[in-house]
Amino acid sequence: MTAASIKEKQSLIGTSVPRIGVDGKLNGKALFSNDVAPKNSLWVKALRSELAHAKIESIDIKDALNTPGCVAILTAQDIPGNNSFGIINKDQPLLAGSKVRFVGDPVALAVAISEDVAELALSKIHVTYTELASIFDPEESLAPGSPFIHEKGNLLGKRLIKKGAPELAFEKADVIIERTYQTTCLEHAYLEPDAGYAYFDSDGKIVIYASTQNPHYDQADVASLLGLEADRVRIIQTNTGGGFGSKLDLNTQGFLGLACYLLKKPVRMVFSREEAFLCTSKRHPLKIKYKSAASKDGRLLAIDVKIMGDTGAYASYGLAVVSRSAIHATGPYEVPNVSIESVFAYTNNPIAGAMRGFGVPQVAFAHESQMDLLAEALGVSPLEIRRRNALRLGSTTATKQELTASVGIQTCIEAIAPHYEAIRNKTNSKDSKKLKGVGLGCMMYGIGNTGTQNPSTAQVELQSNGGIVLYSGAADIGQGSSTVLIQIVATELGVGAEKITLVNADTGLTTSAGATSASRQTYISGNAALDAARKLKEAILTEAATMLKANRKKLYMKNGNVLDSSGVDSSVSFEQIANKAKREGRPLKWQGFFDPDTTPLDPETGQGKPYATFAFAAQIAEVEVDILTAEVTVKKIIAAHDVGKAINPESVKGQIYGGAAMGLGFALMEEFIPGKTVSLKDYHIPTFSDMPPVECLIIEEPEPTGPFGAKGVGEPALIPTAPAILNAIADALGSRIYSLPANLERVMKAIHSGASKMKFRLNQ
Amino acid sequence: MNLEIDFCLNGSEIRLSIKPWETALDVLRNQSGLTGVKEGCGIGECGACTIIIDGKAVNSCLILAAQLDGRKVETVEGLEVDGKMHFIQQAFLDKGAVQCGFCTPGMLMSAKALLDKVENPSTDKIVEAMTGNLCRCAGYVQILEAVREATCMKAPLNKDDVTNS
Ligand code: FES
Ligand code: FES
Repeated sequence: MTAASIKEKQSLIGTSVPRIGVDGKLNGKALFSNDVAPKNSLWVKALRSELAHAKIESIDIKDALNTPGCVAILTAQDIPGNNSFGIINKDQPLLAGSKVRFVGDPVALAVAISEDVAELALSKIHVTYTELASIFDPEESLAPGSPFIHEKGNLLGKRLIKKGAPELAFEKADVIIERTYQTTCLEHAYLEPDAGYAYFDSDGKIVIYASTQNPHYDQADVASLLGLEADRVRIIQTNTGGGFGSKLDLNTQGFLGLACYLLKKPVRMVFSREEAFLCTSKRHPLKIKYKSAASKDGRLLAIDVKIMGDTGAYASYGLAVVSRSAIHATGPYEVPNVSIESVFAYTNNPIAGAMRGFGVPQVAFAHESQMDLLAEALGVSPLEIRRRNALRLGSTTATKQELTASVGIQTCIEAIAPHYEAIRNKTNSKDSKKLKGVGLGCMMYGIGNTGTQNPSTAQVELQSNGGIVLYSGAADIGQGSSTVLIQIVATELGVGAEKITLVNADTGLTTSAGATSASRQTYISGNAALDAARKLKEAILTEAATMLKANRKKLYMKNGNVLDSSGVDSSVSFEQIANKAKREGRPLKWQGFFDPDTTPLDPETGQGKPYATFAFAAQIAEVEVDILTAEVTVKKIIAAHDVGKAINPESVKGQIYGGAAMGLGFALMEEFIPGKTVSLKDYHIPTFSDMPPVECLIIEEPEPTGPFGAKGVGEPALIPTAPAILNAIADALGSRIYSLPANLERVMKAIHSGASKMKFRLNQ
Repeated sequence: MNLEIDFCLNGSEIRLSIKPWETALDVLRNQSGLTGVKEGCGIGECGACTIIIDGKAVNSCLILAAQLDGRKVETVEGLEVDGKMHFIQQAFLDKGAVQCGFCTPGMLMSAKALLDKVENPSTDKIVEAMTGNLCRCAGYVQILEAVREATCMKAPLNKDDVTNS
């Protein structure tokens, strides 16, 4: 057997290893953020503003402090460090000092012996406000004369992308389609409301257990709020019940850190679902003006896109959404002439931050609707127009990045093509009250942060008993990154997954892996873990070569042993190697590092290399629209995703199913209306009965820089679904919806307009 | 004022002293330490807190602890017997039906209540029984497959029961 075939046989890559920690989740023993605090912890509760924009004149806490059982009332004055945090822009106070900027802005904390007492104490805090004019629309916010929400003004950021000569191309075009699309504010609705627990450990460090996607960032921001060195704060991620972007922000961590630091007592905080709805970040509502030009042979010539985003009261991850929505506005198509402008403004709406896809789901709704409109105008099929324009090897994106490998969009389109044709051939009878439709949605998604360094680190250690420990800062929030990292390291070292102990997402024990966002953990932290494993492997093989007096090149690893493939029957175990290296003082813990190869975007033209690699996908949605009730039923979703390499296929499928469900919610039902949407009673996410069968087609166009060829799938899974559903509704009705969600009212309008175009009969 | 209640919790008779306004969810989590019973909304919308009372799946956030008196109560913590997984847990494991796992205890209990009662439920029946359990991560597909698989695992098991008795 050759060394290569042995390696192949032992590989865990492409096998659906069960998720690490799944047992505890099945038997109820897994501890989540609301399960860790001991009974003697004090309760922390926040008083939140009921006004959208107001100056704080005074806060009277006397009565509140007199509440029996109330230990402390904390306000902005009590914050010892820098009272402003945020991942990109530090513009958000932990507790509002001079003014509040949205309904839900925290102004004071009560710390008390029970949750009820804390609530009672909060009710006795008297805040005197002077109300200020509020702004709820981003365009208004940027209009001259608008009151400032932040001192620097109301502009969050702007991104311009220019390529070629779009004006000229529009003049020469055979067809031009121009439409405006509007998406709405969405709630992440992760199933576990935020909670946490903090205490002082025996070394005088503040230890915070939290439901988080971003432990190392939490650590830095909490330390800065408290005016401490980062190493005085330790963040430990508990099991996290979903995040989808919102748990990238400091939700409870800052409050817990402050109360624990000032009172020197263990404290806990638990958001009710209502509080989580009120104060955590949302998806940015975007207004997208989209103009496309094509030639009569169905080739895209130019696009001109203007995106206006509402980032709400504070920036959170908004700036990342400004750029990402602009860069992805072409969709997975080659467009020679491009003009894109993305502008986001502050308003007094809830904070909009990161939500699965960072603006790409919104722009995908627009670019995919445009593709269908162009197809219709040109008399070609929606499939054909995508085929003709989809990116391929050698194509350049809007930022003039040349794609040199792993461009799987054509393969995705070809994979769904036969399914699409088959469904399309089923036709509606003229008298049917339930109209069938089929739609396509395609997407590309840049893996990792945009045009900026976003490294990950990891360590892999061989222990004296021959066991392997992997240290990674990466927070697994349910998507399965921990299992993938283990599979990568186990495969590289030729051991079973059970031989790897993972220590992760604890700032006391691990170094930063960056955030669990931008679908980056498999690609970036996977590479960091692989780098560490390779270094350890080198060290092990070097030791083994001396011990076996063998040719190092002929050695291979299997089940915790190093063996000689040259026919000599000799081997040495990891344990023996570890002991020898230890005795002789050679290191057994190796550090891995990976930072994707990107360049920043030019501020004027937007040119640059924002991402090292892209994921691609094409999905089909088959729908049925009841023209009497306006009810839309999604009958089937077929999803082809180019993930580079599916390290754990069952997990990849899990991401696709979950993404499709979220996309279905985005398309048909989800809408967060500030001031009106309070709880899960009035925010509907898809249930069992809304979910159609989903067929996954996993496409593997290996990424040369990815760990074993892998890219990422977390966000891509969601992006094509809503566009495919909206295109399917348009196909069924012959009339299109331009604002999401496609709720009953909007569908009803579309039915009437479809009927008036004689696409079908509404009345007998 | 405290009330004393007696009930059977995961096979053991227990007595608890509770406040009249406390919910079953609060008491199971805070007094009995059964933190596998999850709170996702507190208002009967998400199903994360699902437990089984006298064979019926209920949202424990919506009922008072006092209502547990004299009843037979099952939570996720009671599913394993002698460290061996219940076949529904096994099916969830096999089908990759667990992502973040926050919905999982409630899902398992709804599935168990259904399978305890109905011999071989159709897909529609399963969907109907589980539709009050929300999952934001997994898109329900693998969960549905798991419950379907559990249905098949149950059938032979029942036959064994018959032979053994
Ligand atoms: S917590 Fe009981 S239904 Fe949500
Ligand atoms: S697995 Fe996360 S909510 Fe279901």
